[in-house]
Amino acid sequence: MVENRNVGFINMTNVQFENILINFGFGTKEEKKQILIDNSHKDVFMDLTCFDPQEFYSTFPQLKGSFAALFCDHVKRIEVHMKDKNEAFISKLQELGFKTFETSILSCGFVFPRTIVQIINEAHFALEENVASKKDIDRAMKFGVNYPKGPFEWSQGRERYVLVLLNELFEKTNDKRYVASKLI
Amino acid sequence: MNLKKIVVIGAGTMGSGIAQWFAQQMCFVELVDNSEDQLKKALAEIHKSWDKLVEKEKLTNSQVNQMKKLLEIKSLNLVSKDTDLVVEAIIENLEIKKTLFQDLDHYFAPHTIISSNTSSFPITLMSEAVSAERKKRFVGLHFFNPATIMKLVEVIKGEKTDAKLCEDLYDWFDSKDKKPALSKDSPGFIVNRVARNFYGEPLRIVDVEDEAKMREVDQILKDVGGFKMGPFELMDLIGIDVNYSVTCSVWEAYNRESRFAPHELQKKMVEENRFGRKSKRGFYKYD
Repeated sequence: MVENRNVGFINMTNVQFENILINFGFGTKEEKKQILIDNSHKDVFMDLTCFDPQEFYSTFPQLKGSFAALFCDHVKRIEVHMKDKNEAFISKLQELGFKTFETSILSCGFVFPRTIVQIINEAHFALEENVASKKDIDRAMKFGVNYPKGPFEWSQGRERYVLVLLNELFEKTNDKRYVASKLI
Repeated sequence: MNLKKIVVIGAGTMGSGIAQWFAQQMCFVELVDNSEDQLKKALAEIHKSWDKLVEKEKLTNSQVNQMKKLLEIKSLNLVSKDTDLVVEAIIENLEIKKTLFQDLDHYFAPHTIISSNTSSFPITLMSEAVSAERKKRFVGLHFFNPATIMKLVEVIKGEKTDAKLCEDLYDWFDSKDKKPALSKDSPGFIVNRVARNFYGEPLRIVDVEDEAKMREVDQILKDVGGFKMGPFELMDLIGIDVNYSVTCSVWEAYNRESRFAPHELQKKMVEENRFGRKSKRGFYKYD
């Protein structure tokens, strides 16, 4: 069963089967928590790209795993973390066209999104200081250091979630390195 | 703009790569170095590379014969004074560079563009060595290694550089086999600034030396992110000492802003002489 919920700044989609609920999308932390509260009797797997999965695991035992699909492109490869391996969940993701990378690293923003939002943030600071145009910054990173995409290509249409993750990282670490450029 | 005559100063890895690339664009290139042995070695390497490209059928014999005729090695006092463009690619030492630019300014014709391939020094600061007129024709041209393969050239406008000159250079490189990017003269230009977090953030995710975790981060950034190399294997390849030094220099240039701060693990590696592949130990072992 697929259920769309119009919450926050993007539609979240719940996919339910057997006793499992997979929550896709990028709602606010409160909205994510509400879904867990509403589904306390199920095994929940949730997109937590913009948050710290550890914070959710410690509060919600029904949360069995998390994943990060914010920067997922046509290749549909995503980082997945599970408390215990769950073949049904992995099979369902694969059925939906995702290629999974099972990680043991529990980090706020996972690995790829956390790294990429910092690259995006610096590109915005450079733009803010008129170092170069968006086009030239993208071009420089793709053709100078072989990045698969330019920072602005990565962030296009995702700026709000980039900001949510940067703010979350700042809140968790109190480190100014995560203060977002005002252009994001 | 039509660049036909080029002088490249410095026959190290970058200089010889830049000279080779310009010759491949059918420009007349004079490659200069203090060391005659270095010049001969660079020329031999470039010829060998072209011969290999003929074997691979990427270039024809006739093209390569023409390129070989177009590339000459010389001492600085014998190069053409009316060259269109000079590219400096010598050691990253500000005083040595400034002394050289002063000499170049006197030697070359007024129309000659003088450029630097520096990745460390502000273009405006280096241009202090040349006359007010030459400052307008003094620019940064930052190539990436290997210069014959990597498409990017950062075209860096100093405070006094003629904006039209930068645009013309941009268009000229764009019309050739390059992807230029126009940058303001600010620390790290574009790439060495924006790329810092590709290393800095994974270092903070791992935080302490843990080989399994570093391998996993490398694998995620390749498999999920689509990067050709992971940050730890790339730092080992570049040289942890080199990467640490660039990080520190950008951090200092931005008044020690925390988003450029080096990580303790980088410092530890350097202190333990673990520089990466070249010392057989870095984040990984290479026995």
